[in-house]
Amino acid sequence: MKGNEAIGEGAVRAGCRYFFGYPITPQSELTHYLAKRLPEVGGLYLQAESEVASINMVYGAAGVGARVMTSSSGPGISLMQEGLSYLAGAELPSVIVNMMRGGPGLGNIAPSQSDYFQATKGGGHGDYRLIALAPNSVQELFNMMKKAFELADKYRNPVILLTDGIMGQMMEPVDLEEEFEVEIPQKPWAASGKIDHEGKNVINSCFVIPEEMEKVNIRLQKKYFEIEQNEPVYEGYSLEGAELILVAFGTASRICRAVVEKARAQGIPAGLIRPVTLWPFPSGGFEKAAVQAKCFLTVEMNAGQMVEDVRLAVNGKAPVHHYGRLGGMVPAAGDVLEEVKRLYYGGAVR
Amino acid sequence: MARITFRQDRCKGCRLCSAVCPRGIIVMSDEINEMGYHPAIIKAKEKCTGCTLCAIVCPDLVIEVEREEKVV
Repeated sequence: MKGNEAIGEGAVRAGCRYFFGYPITPQSELTHYLAKRLPEVGGLYLQAESEVASINMVYGAAGVGARVMTSSSGPGISLMQEGLSYLAGAELPSVIVNMMRGGPGLGNIAPSQSDYFQATKGGGHGDYRLIALAPNSVQELFNMMKKAFELADKYRNPVILLTDGIMGQMMEPVDLEEEFEVEIPQKPWAASGKIDHEGKNVINSCFVIPEEMEKVNIRLQKKYFEIEQNEPVYEGYSLEGAELILVAFGTASRICRAVVEKARAQGIPAGLIRPVTLWPFPSGGFEKAAVQAKCFLTVEMNAGQMVEDVRLAVNGKAPVHHYGRLGGMVPAAGDVLEEVKRLYYGGAVR
Repeated sequence: MARITFRQDRCKGCRLCSAVCPRGIIVMSDEINEMGYHPAIIKAKEKCTGCTLCAIVCPDLVIEVEREEKVV
């Protein structure tokens, strides 16, 4: 199954019945898949006139309490930033897929990870956060859709699946039989008519009086704090006795796994930390690892974005280096291994 | 002597074949294929040894290598 299709099937099985989007490579197979699949389960697929329209249609469907999603790639996600800020402000659960490609600008259709800042630091206006998930296999793309919708509903917050062109285009076997029981929670806040509540429900992000807006912000910040306490996830690989720790997410983490194996075979004690949630960033994993590690190396398909969060997490306990390829180029395992050797034998590991 | 053919319209330009080719003769084309990617091409067919590494690594079954069996 292709990564894009796995996302589509995962969404349908997670109870998503509405998709509003606009095709863009390398994400288009997802829209193709859902155009065929959603009507089969009584859902609605709509190709909107633009990404701006798509994200606002998501706002509407989420407002009435439906499980709804959209997807795009870099340029389209940029167009959606205003809508994302509104979704976060109105606390509407929704899932957004960003199949990252080379940028900036129109860029190209090759895989990249250069939208990390946009997803984790907020590309739209205001003090808001998106929960950002970074899968690294087609199976995980499928499974993570359920988690994405659950987190969105649990915290009433938009969730972004931050992945790249390689993941979308890659074909891997997927076990669709995995336990996939879905329970969609009651949404008494939804603007779905006065079926189960008195008074009116208002979905809104506009609070003209600053005192009121501040109260909303404080409530949001409390929620974000709770997410930071409960939801960070990371995966450690070969961390036992690791002196040089690679840090990578998504596609880059698969390459780094191979690098760690090769480095270990050559006697270099390397390990890998792979953040699964990019926001909340799994800083806790680094506090533990930094005790024994002498050096960190982030490997990203960008000019160094996650490296900033790694530096904050490591908090000066060890040097943090970065290796990246840009504009849609993918690092080769051999090249990363050379960098590992350069650091290890060149004195970066004290 | 080996004969190598690329089904270019299936190629998504991942460059794995280019990375594994021991002769370094597989490069990305300047042309764009049906899907919008720069597909892999071979720049010096006569230098291909028919080792099949590229065909083995290709995730999209783009590459076909034909070579003569050595008859003992």
